Amino acid sequence: MHKNNNPILLKNIRVIDASQNLDQEMNIIVNNGIISYFENSKKNIPFNEKDFRSINCKDKILSPGIFDLRVYLNETNNENVSILKNAAVKSGVLKMGILPFQKPLLDNPIMIEHLIEKTNFNNDKFFYPYGGATKELKGNEIAELGLMAEVGAIGFTDAPNCIQDSLVMRRVMSYAKMLEKPILQNPEDKSLAGLTASNSTTIQGEMNEGEVSTRLGLVGIPSCAEVMIVERDLRLAELTGVHYHVSNVSTKETVEVIKRAKLNGIKITCDTSPPYFSLNELELSTYDTSFKLSPPLRNEEDRIAIQNAIFDNTIDVITSDHKPMSNDTKILPFTSASTGASGIETLLPLTLNLLNKLDVSIMNILKKITLNPSKLLKVEIPKIKSNEKANFIIFDPNEQYLINKNSLQTSPTPFHGRPVQGKNYMSMMNGEIVFDNLDLL
Amino acid sequence: MNKIHKINKTPPPIATLNSKNLLSIEGMNKLEINSILDRADYFADLDPLKIIKTLNGYVILNVFFENSTRTRVSFELAGRRLGAEVINISVDKSSIKKGESLLDTANTLSAMKPNLLIVRHPESGAPKLFSDYLNCSIVNAGDGRHEHPTQALLDALTIRRRLGRIEGLKIAICGDILNSRVARSNIHLLTTLGVEVRCIAPPTLMPKSLENLGVNCFNSLKDGINNVNAIMLLRLQSERMSGTESPSKREYYRFYGLDEEKLSMAHHDAVIMHPGPMNRGVEIASSLADNEDRSLIKTQVEIGVAIRMATIEAVYNAQK
Repeated sequence: MHKNNNPILLKNIRVIDASQNLDQEMNIIVNNGIISYFENSKKNIPFNEKDFRSINCKDKILSPGIFDLRVYLNETNNENVSILKNAAVKSGVLKMGILPFQKPLLDNPIMIEHLIEKTNFNNDKFFYPYGGATKELKGNEIAELGLMAEVGAIGFTDAPNCIQDSLVMRRVMSYAKMLEKPILQNPEDKSLAGLTASNSTTIQGEMNEGEVSTRLGLVGIPSCAEVMIVERDLRLAELTGVHYHVSNVSTKETVEVIKRAKLNGIKITCDTSPPYFSLNELELSTYDTSFKLSPPLRNEEDRIAIQNAIFDNTIDVITSDHKPMSNDTKILPFTSASTGASGIETLLPLTLNLLNKLDVSIMNILKKITLNPSKLLKVEIPKIKSNEKANFIIFDPNEQYLINKNSLQTSPTPFHGRPVQGKNYMSMMNGEIVFDNLDLL
Repeated sequence: MNKIHKINKTPPPIATLNSKNLLSIEGMNKLEINSILDRADYFADLDPLKIIKTLNGYVILNVFFENSTRTRVSFELAGRRLGAEVINISVDKSSIKKGESLLDTANTLSAMKPNLLIVRHPESGAPKLFSDYLNCSIVNAGDGRHEHPTQALLDALTIRRRLGRIEGLKIAICGDILNSRVARSNIHLLTTLGVEVRCIAPPTLMPKSLENLGVNCFNSLKDGINNVNAIMLLRLQSERMSGTESPSKREYYRFYGLDEEKLSMAHHDAVIMHPGPMNRGVEIASSLADNEDRSLIKTQVEIGVAIRMATIEAVYNAQK
């Protein structure tokens, strides 16, 4: 990946590092992977530019790499790991939380250890696995949370499953509290989210319940199936004192409940992902299965509520909820098609798109994909300052283009053909260039 | 039977469709619908032996992923009467589960270069998926809970032949609307043609926001059928009758089963329809089902062939 071995001089680059509350135009030199010069761009550079690979980065942004809170690897094999790594570094994601739902499940210490060993990258940790909260993610028995924490599990979740049983949830929470790890829940009351016939076969809900599901003849999931679980869990979080995290907030009601809980001082955080602040249920009207997501796309009122909750900081983190699926499981009638979509490659531009919709600072938006996830999981992200190893991304926040599914490495995307702005041009991890398109700037 | 109906001297033209597929009634306009009804009306009165076989060499595949005798036979007969070659393929669900994906199946069928695929599938939207990937025309013969367009067309023609018009009528649709593709197609068709549509169902079988489709919703059958000209009953699957969506058969029959007494609330010569197969003593009293003055259930089946002929012909024409 090295373009050349000369030290790199980044001129007039806007450095945004929320951890230091820094937003300044700087000149930076990276030499042998170390930030050797780091000064305000108004100062003259006391070196001869010819000795450097010098790039004028006016209006470009340098920020810590994205920490993607929730990503599905699907399977711990070399091919998947390498596809995900490549897609991630290209898109500016330098750390990610790996969800336990994969083959084999990450619900025991051996698999956690295996994943960490397998994915060690540039002597830096790139993948941070969660442990399954319950055995086989079935929601019945507590998994070996202590042993998994010992070998590096950063938190616990059954995602995409939701822990339905209140007693199991209470026990998992009290255990996680003892281990000082967060518990992540994908809230959805399963019995309410589908149709149950008397022969006890359950038909899973397929989309948000409302006029669109009625027109399409798809099984609806009422939006209250989400908030009901959150309300129950909040009681249990109060009882146990655990750090409770709600994944993929998608409804207006959930936002309101979380906002209230935060005011009441309950230890709660939450995230959402771009589909829920960018799209609504109308997208499904052609039965396009790339919009088949969990939770389902909601109505426009919900979408606006999610967007506003990002703005007022009720929502702490934006994550990709990356769950790539092959065409074999997606090009099917809607009911048979799998749930989920890729997201890691579109996380940065779709997040930056919020700047056009909300009166919010770019630092505040970047916080939600960098500093906040790292604080939530208590994983330190390296600071951008002199004499530190280079750990950052460089992106153009203004470049406009259309998302094209054919130029993405993972599929499917629900955002094909959508105009966005913001593109990553360089990723440096632990002093190494892992992605470099700076010459195209 | 007092048919208010005349045989046209000059046959109406082949029906016009704006698409080479018939996937749903939603999205069709009044002209398209009426052109199919007019043409089918003409076919319904024609001696099948006198029909000019205009579709010689046209290949139709009846691809049924779900069991259905009446609809399959109806399409088959319609195709054959027009001179087309109709091949029935019943795709066993288990063979799909053995590995071949739906799209592979579709591509295999497509390689045989059929002109038209008539698709029935248990999942909503499956015919749309076929139309996205195949070149031939697709006619939806019922998909999941979504639509059953030709059923709605034949229902409309049955009513028109009996009552002389459609516009301005009051029509009730009663039963398991939540799970019914027939209800959805009928709602779109009847509202498009200017009918006051009333949907009647227990709250557990009423889909959300149904009124946004331009209908009035009732939980009470008696209120809902007040002064209506026609009542369309829907089949209630037996697995929904024992404590899930409905407490019991007898409770359902008590409140939603159509009998003489409830029928007396409707217009004095209101007609009764049912897409079949019926559950006697659940959706309808047995005596009413057999009452030929009121029940159009048999006529619906007869008209079905004519509607499907008009549809196949229209699709053929739209392909040109």
